[in-house]
Amino acid sequence: MKILELKDVHKIYNSSEIKVHAVDGVTLSFNEGEFAAIVGPSGSGKTTLLNLIGGLDMPSSGEIIIDGTNLATLKSSQLIDFRMRNIGFVFQAYNLIPVLTAKENVEFIMTLQKWSREERDKRTFELLKAVGLGDRASSRPSKLSGGQQQRVAVARALASRPKFVLADEPTANLDSRSAATLLEIMEKLNHEEKITFIFSTHDPRVMKMAHRVITLEDGQVVSDDVKEA
Amino acid sequence: MAWRNLWRNRRRTLITVASVFFAVFFALVMRSLQLGAYDHMFRNIIESYTGYLQIQHEDFWDTRSIDNLIENSPELEKLILKNENADLLIPRIESFALASSGEVSKGVLVMGVDPEREKYLSNIGSRLIKYYITEESIELIRNSGAPEDVAKRISELKGNAYPSNSSLELDLGIRAGDSASLMPLIRSNTNFRNGYIKSGESSVLTGKALAEYLKLSVGDTIVLIGQGYRGASAAGKYRVAGIVKLPSPDLDNKIVYLPLDVCQELYDAPGMVTSLAVSVKDNGDRAVDAMTGLIGKELSPPLKAMDWRQMNELLINQMEGDNKSGMVMIAILYLVIAFGIFGTVLMMTAERRREFGVLVAVGMQKTKLARVVVFEMLYIGFMGILSGTLAAMPVIIYGYLHPIRFTGEMGKMYEDYGLEPVMPFLPADWYIVWQMVVVAVIVLIALIYPVRKIMRTDVVKSLKA
Repeated sequence: MKILELKDVHKIYNSSEIKVHAVDGVTLSFNEGEFAAIVGPSGSGKTTLLNLIGGLDMPSSGEIIIDGTNLATLKSSQLIDFRMRNIGFVFQAYNLIPVLTAKENVEFIMTLQKWSREERDKRTFELLKAVGLGDRASSRPSKLSGGQQQRVAVARALASRPKFVLADEPTANLDSRSAATLLEIMEKLNHEEKITFIFSTHDPRVMKMAHRVITLEDGQVVSDDVKEA
Repeated sequence: MAWRNLWRNRRRTLITVASVFFAVFFALVMRSLQLGAYDHMFRNIIESYTGYLQIQHEDFWDTRSIDNLIENSPELEKLILKNENADLLIPRIESFALASSGEVSKGVLVMGVDPEREKYLSNIGSRLIKYYITEESIELIRNSGAPEDVAKRISELKGNAYPSNSSLELDLGIRAGDSASLMPLIRSNTNFRNGYIKSGESSVLTGKALAEYLKLSVGDTIVLIGQGYRGASAAGKYRVAGIVKLPSPDLDNKIVYLPLDVCQELYDAPGMVTSLAVSVKDNGDRAVDAMTGLIGKELSPPLKAMDWRQMNELLINQMEGDNKSGMVMIAILYLVIAFGIFGTVLMMTAERRREFGVLVAVGMQKTKLARVVVFEMLYIGFMGILSGTLAAMPVIIYGYLHPIRFTGEMGKMYEDYGLEPVMPFLPADWYIVWQMVVVAVIVLIALIYPVRKIMRTDVVKSLKA
């Protein structure tokens, strides 16, 4: 089932006299449960494309439709609400809330969505266990390693069962062992929760594990390879 | 979350709370002391001279003419005392005359007072000199074996007069421990025999400085010559019954008190007065204002009700000027903490820019995020205000119950200006609430910046910060 569609999306940055085409006519679609990687050299437009897909930035032209909703039709506050309900984010620098514990970070979006305490506790415990941090629920981010923080970030992104998770270079700050563990966990969750994962990455390990690899160059899609199951 | 955010930089939060604490603490203590001093000063003047309300001829206050008299009739007294806050009427005649004794003459202020009723207002009896340091008394004290330093100090105070033991002790600078052994000796050798005026007796009280100028002692005769009511000539010869020491040097140098009936006879104005001061039961501003309004409506020209504000206009203006300078000081204090608070807000906003971006990215509404930041600053403000107020209250209560009492030169200066040398604190009142409101407003103003920043958060730029 198609959950995300990009139709001739452009993003142009106007810096004084030079126009920069960060995303140049991208047309893509993603189905439920995909595990896709967007790859390409630095400056190819990966992060910009993820920002557009996540509704963090608006395209100069073209349409982005998520589960039937064109993002351009939403007001600012509606867009924030839409993101909260439909999109999970994993950032390169983890970006956990430093004053909250691992458990509180995971349940943060569920709290915003006004889930009941029982539901929150159940889901948080389930996710922390799934990312191998069931015993670190009460630790603050400063007490966790980089890999552990990124696993909490993944749990947070999945907490409210979004339509898809966007991960911008999730393994870039991790050592190889932590990166491998994280990828295994993400793949497992993708399989179990049927949630679409879209990564931007340079990491060959991520590319190797991805079921679909989209290559960008100068803001354009130059290849879109789906691996055979 | 807001509470936890406060403690992510514990030192900065504590410094900001401390700056609010000190501002509130010092503002409250300073304000309490300043307002307490004004309150005390006004009560001193009102309760010792003008009273809270006077009934006068409508032109008297401006002209001070003996021709602008009013009749002290039982009907008028009844009309005024009908007001439930009016306790007693104190009639007075105030005019001028030329006073002579021997070959010396001087223009004087003549006050005709009811000797009994005046005790309820200015209480001039309490100003009668009790102790007078003369050449003879200094010699007696020296010969009776007083310590050298005390004898020396008494010599320095030659010519001084005191209406009370406490003012004598204050001027001598005698230590509390030595008071019991030295004061009886000093009192017995400086004791001054004095008397008071009585209705119907041709006697007067004079200020000490005036008595010295006219070379008068108790029992001597003073002659008063002036203009009486409606052009009559006023002249009389009176025995000096007593000498008073008034705190105001100006008044001390020109005042002569006569019994009211004798004064009316002098000015040929039987049954007439220049003013009727009203002694009040409740001296609170509201009660006095209400009384002034009600009595004022009942009076018909040429009678006029003058309240204490109208009669002390100059002093009120001076106080307002002083009050403004005090407020400027407090404003500077607040400006300093405003910058402190704003500095904290600025740092907090700058260092959390990325975090704000993340929170908005994952779905937190900007208004909700702004609310968290508002709560953080309100907590800081609340902690500072509460702790500052709690710390200031015991100081204010102590200062109210145990006013600062000036001694030495400062104390003397206060007495010379006709003021009791004490500085009490004003007890808890609306000014406390106002200080709290001002700090809260500063915090709210400082919040405009982070709230604007949050509402204008560009998620993509914030995530790169």
